[in-house]
Amino acid sequence: MSETPRQITLDEWDRAYERLQAAGVPQPVYGGPLGRHVADGDTRLLKLRFDSSLAALQLWNFLLTEEDRLRAARDAGKKLVGTMKDLGTVPVMAYSLDNLVAFYPDGAWWIPCVMEVNSGLLQIADSLGIDESFCPVRAMLGAFVTEAHFPIPDLLTCSVGATCDDFSAIAQRLNGLGHPILWWEIPHRRPPESDEDGVHLPGGFSAPRSQIQFVKAELERVAIALQDLAGRALDDEALARGIAQANHVRRLLAKLRDAAFTATPCPMPALEMLIAEMLAIHFCSDREETVVVLQELLDEVNRRVLAGVGYLPDQAARVFWVNPVADLQVLNLLEDCGGRICGTEYLFAHALDPIPLDVPPMEALARMALADPMAGSAVDRAARIVADIRRLGAEAVIVSRIPGASHCALEGEIIGEIVREECGIPVLEIEVPPLTDAVYPSLRTRLEALVETVVNRRSR
Amino acid sequence: MKTIVYTCPYVPAEWIAAHGLQPRRLIPQPVEGTSTIPRLEGLCPYARAFVNDVAASKDVDGVIVTTMCDQMRRIFDLLVRRIDVPAFLLNVPSTWQTAAAQRLYLDELKRLGRFLVRLGGREPDRKGLTDAITQCSIGKELVDLYPVITPPESLIGPLLCVMQQVRHSLDAESRRYAEDARGVPIGVIGGPLMERDQVLFRVIRECGGETAFDGTETGYRTVRNLDSRHLSGNPLEDLAEAYFRLPDPSRRPNGEFYKWLKDKAACRDVRGLLLHHYVWCDKWHAEFERIKEWTKLPTLRLDSEGEGEMNSLRVRNRIHAFVETLR
Repeated sequence: MSETPRQITLDEWDRAYERLQAAGVPQPVYGGPLGRHVADGDTRLLKLRFDSSLAALQLWNFLLTEEDRLRAARDAGKKLVGTMKDLGTVPVMAYSLDNLVAFYPDGAWWIPCVMEVNSGLLQIADSLGIDESFCPVRAMLGAFVTEAHFPIPDLLTCSVGATCDDFSAIAQRLNGLGHPILWWEIPHRRPPESDEDGVHLPGGFSAPRSQIQFVKAELERVAIALQDLAGRALDDEALARGIAQANHVRRLLAKLRDAAFTATPCPMPALEMLIAEMLAIHFCSDREETVVVLQELLDEVNRRVLAGVGYLPDQAARVFWVNPVADLQVLNLLEDCGGRICGTEYLFAHALDPIPLDVPPMEALARMALADPMAGSAVDRAARIVADIRRLGAEAVIVSRIPGASHCALEGEIIGEIVREECGIPVLEIEVPPLTDAVYPSLRTRLEALVETVVNRRSR
Repeated sequence: MKTIVYTCPYVPAEWIAAHGLQPRRLIPQPVEGTSTIPRLEGLCPYARAFVNDVAASKDVDGVIVTTMCDQMRRIFDLLVRRIDVPAFLLNVPSTWQTAAAQRLYLDELKRLGRFLVRLGGREPDRKGLTDAITQCSIGKELVDLYPVITPPESLIGPLLCVMQQVRHSLDAESRRYAEDARGVPIGVIGGPLMERDQVLFRVIRECGGETAFDGTETGYRTVRNLDSRHLSGNPLEDLAEAYFRLPDPSRRPNGEFYKWLKDKAACRDVRGLLLHHYVWCDKWHAEFERIKEWTKLPTLRLDSEGEGEMNSLRVRNRIHAFVETLR
């Protein structure tokens, strides 16, 4: 199927799946027709277009069966750790212990989109005083109340400090509902002062050594809780193994991003690439299978690059995308408008960078945690975006605002200002709610205008 | 004397004063016209007004912002890009139950001290800090006595003697006032109030209520009064401990705020609570339902865009109706 990549609908995928079955093509245990997820309420899938490769089918099925895996893990006697907000640090620690499974309750922020607001989660959040002025991650509260989207974890951790207010407030509300939370502090990252010893961080940032030591001590508190839950020691050896596995995932993803963002024609659509990036945060509750899924996707992309096949004309506008989208459909829309993704910063760039191996494991994790784009200033974040724009040759930037998110009020202004100054390319700021149907025409117009601007600038 | 402005209650005025600098807690006006930061969707009006007010001030030699809320943390980025005033971002931990978090706050105060010295402040010694604590504590006693009125920090030094003299008369007046009060006792809680929105307390009174306590961020809740007679050998540590323990909903967990609220509500016999916050203030907004659940007191939530709505007919009507239901 890789010879002629196409974006196909759910119906087309289900018909293709029947042919695959008839041909005896093996599928993983979580495999099956994508259409079955619609029966579970994931009706947004009916409006999306998917890549036509087997690798993409596996990716989607892996993503949409996470709840089953969590319940199976609990049935098998494993303990579940809900790692809120930290985006890629505590999961590495938890997966270093083989009887723990970490997941990301914040991932519930996509449920209102995927289930087209039919899940009732936002209404529950409303009833708890967390209304639409908050980020869509408020759906997580409803998911805890209904227990219908993930099992209640045995341990909940949450990073606070230099995080967004929405999530901090929502997590506190959750705590007030009777869910104990182990809070750990991530301080605002700052550059070292002249009289301080500085440390280089993944992603090109730096921080005073005192901040690294502080975060390391915080993570050691988390480690103690994980050890207690697992009933076994989380020593440096186990952590080092966990870091090596996480780095394997990150290397695969780096290769995938590099190929997908730079090859012409575009070998993999934006939507599948977003899902692939999300796997690096917490491995979608199965680290080993994450490796398999990403490897399949990378193989598919490499085959397409070699064959010179892909999506969109060669002249497609090369767009760098900032922040994840609450409505997945918007990434399809960008491609409809003649744009392609050639770089992303979905708020977890630090979870894609290799974890340092030249320092003790806990310190390496502390450095990684402190490299979180959310922990530092928007100026830092913009600097990283500018470096990536130059490396990847982006011709425009879209800053996608998350409705209600405290960081979105100002960072777009700063990122836009710096990108224009440094790169001289157009920047468009849009807001993407969980369902964009009502604003779809205006969003389309704005994206089309951006693509037109890019094309016009080429002829100057 | 150089003036250092701040607005977050986790910035100890005593520490600035100990450096020989004038601390000024800036309670902003909703500055319009030549704005440094434009009106942006999702931006807290208080944070915006603070920066615009700093930009409009002629006599500011340094500004301190903290990380206690994400909007202020992020507004620091714009502040340093658009305003030519030395600025400092003080990292105030959200967590408070560990010794490490408290140590981090103390270390941040020391780092702030180095910033103040770079601005021309003097290295504070023990006596200097103790003197500053003494002076500030007398100023703050006025707030204890008369919770609705916050004395300007600028009065603390020059009017120290006068304030000591008026203290006793104010004390008497305060007691007499409490005895005469006929209004329904209401506890006011919430985030900071801009100067113009302090009219809220008068509106409450005019609507038949009485402010039993001011638990807003610019009110009594955030006043820390250190008794200089009981300082240890390290007054900076005493200062850090006192400020670090300010009860606020932004702390994680925030149970200390609820303990404070329960104590205040009980000792002042409040019949209802009024929660004010500016739009996009997630931390206060998110607590509203929990406050109702936890205190079991009727609670009115007023959110505003910083446009002087506290004196509007609509807000008056709402407060009036609220007070009526509490009679």
